[in-house]
Amino acid sequence: MPDIGGDPLFVLEFGDILHYYTPYTITLFLLALIFTGLAIASRPERQIDIAFGGDAYYAKETTVSEMRFRRFMAIACGLATLGAMGSGDLFNFTLFVSLVGIANIGIVAAVKNRHVLDAAYEYGIVAMVATLPLFGGAALVVATTGTLAIPALAAGGFAVPLVAKAFLALGVIGEGMAPFYAAKAEMFRAPGAPYVIMCSLSSLLIFLRVVEIVITI
Amino acid sequence: MIIPEYSLGLLVAFAAMGVAFFAMMRETDGFHRLLLTDLIEVVSLAFIALIGTDLAEALILPGLVVGTSELIALSEIYRIKEGYTRPPDAGLQIEVMESAPGILAALLVVYGIVLSGFSGGVVAGLGVLFYLLCRGHDERFELIETASGYSWALWIVAFFIFMILPQYWFFAVMLSGSAILVKVMAKMSLIGTMRGGPNA
Repeated sequence: MPDIGGDPLFVLEFGDILHYYTPYTITLFLLALIFTGLAIASRPERQIDIAFGGDAYYAKETTVSEMRFRRFMAIACGLATLGAMGSGDLFNFTLFVSLVGIANIGIVAAVKNRHVLDAAYEYGIVAMVATLPLFGGAALVVATTGTLAIPALAAGGFAVPLVAKAFLALGVIGEGMAPFYAAKAEMFRAPGAPYVIMCSLSSLLIFLRVVEIVITI
Repeated sequence: MIIPEYSLGLLVAFAAMGVAFFAMMRETDGFHRLLLTDLIEVVSLAFIALIGTDLAEALILPGLVVGTSELIALSEIYRIKEGYTRPPDAGLQIEVMESAPGILAALLVVYGIVLSGFSGGVVAGLGVLFYLLCRGHDERFELIETASGYSWALWIVAFFIFMILPQYWFFAVMLSGSAILVKVMAKMSLIGTMRGGPNA
């Protein structure tokens, strides 16, 4: 039995639904926690435009309400990532991942700019389509094995179909597409920074977690 | 040879998924792509519904909520990026819509309160929705939202009572029944206000 996460350090049970941390997931959890803290503490980046043909330049101001919305979405994304790291229930994990997707739509769409909104719209459609394999994968697992608890599935005795695992991975890939679309709209340079970093980080972390889940179950 | 029902349903769901993805691939217009994502959402709900147990019911609700919230967010993005800001119309001016709402809404709300719980919330919410749809809305949306939020919190409190203090189950049943009534009613009544305007 491949056990890439190590022994659980902490298990919180609500009946069948449980949360647990292994040395692997606690590392990811702490990383998400640190970056959520950084998102709370940081101020928005000012975009500097050079006036063509002269020495002048001007800095674009971010309004307080826009800054608040972006920060809120970044924090929400961080919290959803924290949940996805700790969840020991497959369906809860898919819900947290889709919550990451929704928060990422919010982070990208908070910039009122035609190109950025186009990218946010395209990403949103990908994220919505990705909920099909995500929920479909979890539904296939529960239909074939009768349980959603990851430790129970990891203990063996269940034949989790390969298509369910592929669906889960595919769904997470879809939800984790946000950095591509943020890069497409050049958001890392200024308009969305630094909150857009949460897109990259959350995508990376949910990838790492789903790899662990798919290998373990 | 009899094909098991689950496999048959799964086959249909996979076929529907293929159709939906093919349609998404072919479609290039942004708005139609948004409409097609709803088709995909329905297939994902079908995957969950195929489980066919009580668990499926519990899993469909969050799935539906996720799909709906993404759809609302995307429609808002689409509206802003295309710059659609048409002022709302005055609406239908029919005599029945002036007189009937009060009576019907009162009946539905009273019956919904009698039913209580989730279904009661839907019935009462339908009454409020109908009233708002016909009579217009100058309501304070923050109030509806606040009531909905507090009742949701009470619902969660009731769940904790079930888990931690099971001997008070009757109190918890009453609490969750009335809280979910208010929450569903408040959420549904918001649909009745979806006609544009300053608050919407």
